[in-house]
Amino acid sequence: MDVLAYFASLDPMHFMGALPGNVAQGLIWGIMALGVFITFRLLDFPDLTVDGSLATGGAVTVILILVGVPSPLAIAIAVVAGVLAGLVTGLLHTALGIPGILAGILTQISLWSVNLIILDGANKAVNVDKYSLIVSLRNVSSSIITVLIIAGIIICLLYWYFGTEQGSAIRATGCNPNMSKAQGINIDNMKVLALCISNGLVALSGGLMAQYQGFADIKMGQGAIVIGLAAVIIGDVLGEAIFRKRMNFSIRLTFVVIGGIIYYLVIGLVMWLKMPTNMLKLLTAAIVAIFLAVPYLREKRINSFAFKSKKEGRKNA
Amino acid sequence: MKKKVLAILICAIMALTLSSCGGTETEDKPAADTYSVGICQLVQHVALDSATQGFKDALNDTLGDQVTFDEQNASGDIPTCSIICNQFVSSNVDLIMANATPALQAAQTSTADIPVLGTSVTDYGTALGIDDWSGTTGTNISGTSDLAPLDEQAAMLQELFPDATNVGILYCSAEPNSKYQYEVVKGHLEGMGYSVKEYTFSDSNDVQAVTTMAASECDVMYLPTDNTLASNSEIIKNVCVPAEVPIIAGEEGLCAGCGVATLSISYYDLGYTTGEMAYEILVNGADPATMEIEYAPQFTKKYNAEISDMLGITMPDDYIAIED
Repeated sequence: MDVLAYFASLDPMHFMGALPGNVAQGLIWGIMALGVFITFRLLDFPDLTVDGSLATGGAVTVILILVGVPSPLAIAIAVVAGVLAGLVTGLLHTALGIPGILAGILTQISLWSVNLIILDGANKAVNVDKYSLIVSLRNVSSSIITVLIIAGIIICLLYWYFGTEQGSAIRATGCNPNMSKAQGINIDNMKVLALCISNGLVALSGGLMAQYQGFADIKMGQGAIVIGLAAVIIGDVLGEAIFRKRMNFSIRLTFVVIGGIIYYLVIGLVMWLKMPTNMLKLLTAAIVAIFLAVPYLREKRINSFAFKSKKEGRKNA
Repeated sequence: MKKKVLAILICAIMALTLSSCGGTETEDKPAADTYSVGICQLVQHVALDSATQGFKDALNDTLGDQVTFDEQNASGDIPTCSIICNQFVSSNVDLIMANATPALQAAQTSTADIPVLGTSVTDYGTALGIDDWSGTTGTNISGTSDLAPLDEQAAMLQELFPDATNVGILYCSAEPNSKYQYEVVKGHLEGMGYSVKEYTFSDSNDVQAVTTMAASECDVMYLPTDNTLASNSEIIKNVCVPAEVPIIAGEEGLCAGCGVATLSISYYDLGYTTGEMAYEILVNGADPATMEIEYAPQFTKKYNAEISDMLGITMPDDYIAIED
């Protein structure tokens, strides 16, 4: 009886109605995930700076908009701030020899203080009624279009850049640092460069996020790296499943953004199912774990003797 | 096959984008018999939980079965507040109750039409980005503030500790409302002749070090309403009681943890008041734009019997001991 009442209380229209909002937010996080993709996948560098640089992007954007800077310019300056954050992590790692994870953590915690100084407090509102913002929760459909265009431009730029000599050198550094060094690539410079690009994108996403939600908060970046990694992995698995061997670099980038959208669709679904919100983090962790495990288990099954012998048996029959 | 999958995917995305065109507009509903209310709470927290409970009780008392709640908690994840509020707007609830500052800001951004009531927000002017704050928002937002009367809190400190000279104010600089309280209380205390110094930390890992320093330099400490302080009250107690520094706390939960006395507001009452405002809006058609921000209906002088015994402080008769 209770079960029936539960299902009756779920209105599919509510889920459909909330979808655009989830898509918009997922797209913004997708841009952030592109940044994570560059460090995590291309450079093979677990960069924890992003929790800080996301909030830096938001803080710089909001403060500049409040003093009257037009919002596109404010976001551009936020990107520069993010690039600087990446530069710090890069130099800590390459010039001072601090291990990657630690370098990221050091920058992340110092950005907590920096962000408090930028925001002059913990939280600053940017009222959508008073300032012209390029994206806002108030107008979800135009936000989706704006962010789609921005994401499209970024994907094209990244596709072009990682095809150039310098971009290829970054990818080579991630694949095999020793071999790259032997080929005459300055791998330290490549690492710093990739971290700068990555954190610039993260700050861009933070700037969009702050405008979208209408405020910047010191805690807005907390757990961002998890969402970014989740988006990268979900996108990878999905792209792999649909395109298999034909998955090229541009499709890969596109699917990172799609991964961000799917992450937020799942959150929307969990809420629509009226699950206790205390469970939210556990469920998201479970979903990411499933996405990570499925390709591994499938691979294992295909390579197993049992599967092979069955296949052989069928062929011989 | 693969092209089909891709085509379906693209169609789905296009449909999603299109469906946003009609979905988010608020249509005028005919006078409904039942009201749906969305509750967006920032984080699981004693004070916020009791405010939500008070809000629901007030509406249940007045409307009974005529009201349904969609209660969502962002578990401290700020972007989730936007998702929740967007969900409320798309399901076209009759009213949104936003519990804590980021929740209110997300609700403000998500709709200009649906009435929004905030609670557990200290300073609406700052939270909503309104420069010339006059007590009403002039938009679809109103609500209740958890600001205890800071002048009376300062007066309480003077009443209990007239001989003290150095007062330290300890707060977390990463909390949106604490700095404002510090500035106001500092003004009052300096007017009374105390010398006031601020001690701030930016996250919970630094609480112990900063508190130790404060306790060594001050005769009395004042702690404003601050979520990070509330979560770390046990640490503060273990530093300040051995150092024999009494604490005047901004709210009851904090006082029960580490304070000597407080001028208490009840978050339950605050939520209840918010619920009554919701009734006015839903049933009597009151306009949130002209509704004044309301404050807690009553304040009680309360004290922490255990800590005041340990410090050997005798409380005046009009103070009530905090019950566990």
